[in-house]
This record gives sequence, C-alpha cells and structure tokens, in this order.
Amino acid sequence: MKPDMLMIHYGELSTKGDNKKAFVTALLHNVRVALKPFGLESKGDRDHIYVYLGGADPTPVISRLKEVSGIQRISIVMKVEPKMELIQEATLSLLQEEAGAKSFKIDVKRVDKRFPLDSYGIACAVADYVLEHGDYEVDLHEPECKVKLTLRPEGCYISCHDELGLGGYPLGMIGKVTMLLSGGIDSPVAAFSLIRRGIRVECLHFASPPYTSAAVIDKLKDILAALNVYQNDIKLQVLPFTKLQDAIYANVPEPYCITIMRRMMIRLAVAMAKKNRALAVATGESIGQVASQTLESMGVIEEVADSFPILRPLCVEDKLSIIEKSKRIGTYDISIRPYEDCCTIFKPRRPKTKPKLEECLEYEKRFDYQRLIDECLEGVTTICFSGGQEVLSEGENHAELPQ
Amino acid sequence: MIYFDSAASTCPKKEVLDVFLSASQDEYANPSSSHAFGRSGGRLLESARKQTLDLFGVSATHQAIFLSGATEANNLALKGIAFSYQNRGKKILVSAVEHPSVLEPARYLAKAFGFEVVELPVDSYGRVSPETLQAHMDKDVILVSIMGVNNETGTINDLKALSQITHRYPKCFFHSDLTQAIGKVEIDFSCLDLFSFSGHKIHGLKGVGALIYKKNIRFVPVLHGGGQEFGYRSSTVALPLALSLSKALELSLASAKNNLAHVKSLRETLLQGLENEEIRVNSPLDEAGSPYVLSLSLLRHKASVIMEGLSEEGIYVSTSSACSASLEKPSYVLLSMGVDEDSAKNAIRVSFSEDNTLGEVRLFLSSFHRLLKEIHAR
Repeated sequence: MKPDMLMIHYGELSTKGDNKKAFVTALLHNVRVALKPFGLESKGDRDHIYVYLGGADPTPVISRLKEVSGIQRISIVMKVEPKMELIQEATLSLLQEEAGAKSFKIDVKRVDKRFPLDSYGIACAVADYVLEHGDYEVDLHEPECKVKLTLRPEGCYISCHDELGLGGYPLGMIGKVTMLLSGGIDSPVAAFSLIRRGIRVECLHFASPPYTSAAVIDKLKDILAALNVYQNDIKLQVLPFTKLQDAIYANVPEPYCITIMRRMMIRLAVAMAKKNRALAVATGESIGQVASQTLESMGVIEEVADSFPILRPLCVEDKLSIIEKSKRIGTYDISIRPYEDCCTIFKPRRPKTKPKLEECLEYEKRFDYQRLIDECLEGVTTICFSGGQEVLSEGENHAELPQ
Repeated sequence: MIYFDSAASTCPKKEVLDVFLSASQDEYANPSSSHAFGRSGGRLLESARKQTLDLFGVSATHQAIFLSGATEANNLALKGIAFSYQNRGKKILVSAVEHPSVLEPARYLAKAFGFEVVELPVDSYGRVSPETLQAHMDKDVILVSIMGVNNETGTINDLKALSQITHRYPKCFFHSDLTQAIGKVEIDFSCLDLFSFSGHKIHGLKGVGALIYKKNIRFVPVLHGGGQEFGYRSSTVALPLALSLSKALELSLASAKNNLAHVKSLRETLLQGLENEEIRVNSPLDEAGSPYVLSLSLLRHKASVIMEGLSEEGIYVSTSSACSASLEKPSYVLLSMGVDEDSAKNAIRVSFSEDNTLGEVRLFLSSFHRLLKEIHAR
C-alpha cells in the first residue's frame, strides 16, 4: 500500500471569518499553478486541500508545496474505507515508509460517531496490530512517528508524516506592493518576507549607468528568477536615475546627499506604486544598519511619501539572520557578486545620521528635481519573469518591438 | 564596436579558424592511436610542433609541449622545474609584477613545499633591473621567471641581459612568460631556457598554448595519465588546436614588424589626444614599453565608471586587467611600480591589435573626453 494523497493544512486562515472562502479559493488556485508540472488532481474544502498522488512520488511534490505561501503543514495521507482491518494494515504500511522510525503514538479523531469503537478503543486496536506485526514500540511522550487517524463518514484518513510549509497567507489576497530592489543582500529577503505573507510584490530598481554597471541588471534577473519560485509572475521596473543623482551631487552638500537621494527614490517609488495600483512601498531597510537607516533618517526620508504606507519587513532583523534567510532562499550567492549599485557608488565621507527636515527642504529648493523625477518616470523599462524564465513584458517594452 | 581590449583576448583570424575546422572534421582520430588514421594525426601534430620551434628559430635546441594555455604552461614551468630540481636548491625568483599564473604557483610552492620564493622589486617602469636580479642570485636559485611584456602596462623587460645573469649560475634556468610579447616585440628566443605563450592573445583560439623548453630540461608533470607530450602533459592532444596555434603564430610573427609601426601610430594619436586630460600615464612611452598596451590612471574619476560609460557606447577597455576587473582593489602591478594607491585603483588599460584604426582612436577620444566632462568625479 502506498500513500495516496497529500493533505494541506491552512495556518492562520482558520482564524478568518467570512473571508475564509476567498482565501481558500486563492490558495487552491496557487497550489494548482505550482503543481501544474506534476499533472496532479486537487480539491479544496473548508479545512484542507487534498492533492491526489495517483502513484506519484510525494517527495518532489512536497518540496514544491513548501514554496507556496499560506500552507501551514503538508501531510502524507492514506485514505481507506472505515473498516478496522484496512485501517490496521494501512497504518503499518505507512509506518514502514518512515525509514528508521521505531517508536509511535496514535491520535484518533472520530468525526463519524457511528463507528463502533470509541477513539481510545480504535487507538488500542490499531496499536495492538502494529506491535504484533512489526518491530515497533509505543512512546506516548516523544514518539518518532505520530500516527493520526481521522474517521470521517467518507473514509478513514491516516497520516504519520507531515512537513512544515511556508506559513503566511495565500499570495494575491492582500494586494500588491512596490518593492525597492537594489541587488544587495537585504532587499530580496524583504521581498520574500512579503510574498510569504501573501503580498504580491512588484520590484523597482534605480539604475545609474555608467556609475552602476549593466551587470547589475543581470544580477537582478537572477534574483527575480529566485523569487519567481515563490511568486509565479514577478516584474521589475528599472528607472534611469543617473541625471537625478548627478543633480543631487551637484547641488546638495555631501553629508546630505544620501538622505536627499533616498527622498527622491521614495518620491519615485510612491509615484510608481500609485501608477501600478500598488497599496504600499516596501524597502529592505533595517534600523541602524547604515546612516540612512537611523530612525531620524527614516523619518526625514518618509516625509516625502505623504502618508502613503512604507513597509520595512526587515526593520528589526539582525544582519546575520538576514544573511541566513538569503542563503535559504538562494539569493545570497547572487547578491554578493561584486557590482556596485547606486547606494555604494558615492559613499560620502561623513553621511548625516541625524538629518534635519528643514535642511533637506532647503537643499531641495536648489534644483528643479520635479522635472528630473518626471524624466525618470518616463524612462521606465520593464523586465518580467514567469515560471523561472524571462518573458516579454506587457506595456512599456512592447513599444520597442518591430511591428 | 570599438575593441581596445586585445591584451585580454583577440579576434581569431579566419585562416586560424579554417585550420581548426578542417582538422576537427578530417583528423578526428586520436593522434596517439597506432592505426593509419591516428598516425596521420600524429604526423600533423609533429609538423605543428616542428613549425612552432622553427618559427622561434630554436628547433635545434628546444622542444615544445602543447597544452591548454599560458596559465597551464606557467604552472608546468614553475612546478615542473621546482619538483624536478629541488635537490639542486629550493630558491625561485619571480618578478613582483608577474601574471597571477606565475605568482600564484610560486607562492604555492613556498607555502606548501617550503621553497624560498623572492618576488623581485621593479623600477618605476615596472622592469626588473639586471642589478636587482644579480643582487638576489645565489647558488640555491634553480629558476628565475620574468615576463617579457607586462599585461597591465606593456613594460618590456631586457630578457637578454637578465638571462645572461642567470646563466652565470649553471644550475639555474631562466623562464619567461611571453604571452603579451609574441608578435609584438623583438625577442631572442634562443637565450631563454623556457617560455610560455597562449593562442588567443595572438589572434588564435582560446584553450591552447605552448611551453617551449630546452631539450635537456626534465619536468615532474602536473597532469599524470596516458603519457602524451613526452610524459609531461598527459591528456589526448587537441590536434586541431595545436595546428591552429602554429598557424596563429606563423601569421603573428610574419606581420610583427608592420603591425608594430601601425600600432605605434595608434598609441601616438591616442596620447596626443589625451594631453590636456587629468590622467597619469603609467606605461613607459620609450623603448621600454610595448605600444600595444597603454595604462592610464584617472586622477579625478573612478575607472570602473568610465569603463562602464565607454562600454555603454560600445567601446571596450579594461580596468587594470580582465582577471581583477570589478574588484575594488588597487593594481598590484602599479603599486609595485610606486604608483600611489588612488591611481592604482583607477587605472584603465587600453590595449590594441593591428586591426584597430586611427578612426577608432579618434572616436574613442571623443567619447572619453565627453565622459570625463559629464561624469561626476570620485
């Protein structure tokens, strides 16, 4: 006997009230998209999504499901008719699939009260059979294998193996945000954190050629491909930032350059977010990490957003934990490639860690930045990834294609 | 496109590709096989070997091994000699500005096998002076390795004088990495005990090079296996690549003189055009420098930014050398020449081939002037 389905458990979804149906529908859709290459049937109800294996090896299917947000746990399940001898045999064969497990415990949920034995009686009957026919012992406190039997009118579900999913919410339910992507270590991790929580991200990058290398764009494409695992369609918009950056360095005293540059970036990001109907702007900032990421700096920078929400998913994360996460999602090795982005190219010798708003406003009066911002917005190019591959983007780039 | 990065690699000549292609199609048997098809390849290989040695004028005294390129040739020269002759002495001298494929094997021999390695200081041109070499020579030195032309600056070493000093010590061999020198400067090959070069720097193909060595030299091989190439370089010999290498060498040496005059005029025009810019010329401009390579330090700008700006316009140059590009490290070659750290971090290398034109130099100059004006200083 082989396990015949995977059971997907919802996490925080179960706390949802009237919205729950919509969340489940979204998750079912995402699961079906993720499992398309496997060609497996699936079905969803109030409490679980069932993926029918049809003889397929569950391991790669589970690995893929672990990349889908909104899944708390994935159990390997066998479904049998609610007859004691079938339940006993199935339990033993499931246990035998768990290499190395010697001790077990049985938890019974008797939803169908018509079953002749009560929960304790079922547990004892199945355990007796396992002890008699296999080399196992019972351990109620720290079992190596926890067998779950759920008796429902349509059959008995047996599982003894489950794996943790990503958690969070299904992607697409919470709207989308505009994520600033630099190519460094932090921003891809921030993007992943948002996606995990069910928030669709659209990325924005500020390119300052020739101060930044064209190789940064290749690096960003690799990052998009990595994030694409978690969000099936992802796009990056690249804004030409050179002229604005040059104007900042020509007009603003050096210690304020980074602050003003970040204010311009947020202005651009908010404008792009509104244009793309995103509900917030997100950054990979972490409090205290660099001069522009002190609370004072953040306040002065955020002022330009004019109460448009700015999300900082990593704001209290330590660098080491960010690095650890970036390794886990596979972006670390891409991020550390040695190309400059526009934040590292001109490091002021003494950046202001506690900038003053009045001074910022004063310096910004010195040049017509609005015109330069408009120019940036007009020069946007778009890169789209779907299913791990770069695809032709909708919108901007089409104009350049031959008719 | 304007390609001014020929010290990194060159465009293969059509004749070279033709030789490679027809040998790949027609002579695919293993040249070590003893059947007629294999023997025919074996004969071709020996003819390529002989032609190579003839072109250098050293067939009477030297032998040639085909291998994957100058890096492998340098590794075999250093490790092969060191291991083979370590009972004569355990001291090796290399210049401080050698390519990493000489420096790193030397450092490895020092670190892992207890050899005493001296990295000889260079003068402000980047040359090892005969006096410096003489001062470090003693009876324990078994190998001196000094490059013919430096890959970052084009500096030429006086190989004749240096080898003469070495040869006063009968137990010591003189090796030279000629990767940037072949076909570009005049060399008396007969004074060298060993020398290395690579195909793709002389309009040949990537993946092939040769080590030429005096017939009395015995190596401990780096690659062990089937015993090809006199047992010194096991691996099925890439016959089409070996043939392509001797073809590239033939073409390169035949046109060396004419090319030199042409490239000199390119460098002249370039330098005239740069007279009023805030740059420092690192390369020697007299007979101590090959006109093929010009190293310039930008005094006010970041070299990587200017390189990127040129690249956007389809003009390709390097920052110091291709191997160390994109790392924010000062060039060790320039530092060794006494160049200050800022200049050593912001060097651009313009390297020519005979295919470049004066028109290209003028286009380069106009882009270069504009970028230096437009781009924010560092």
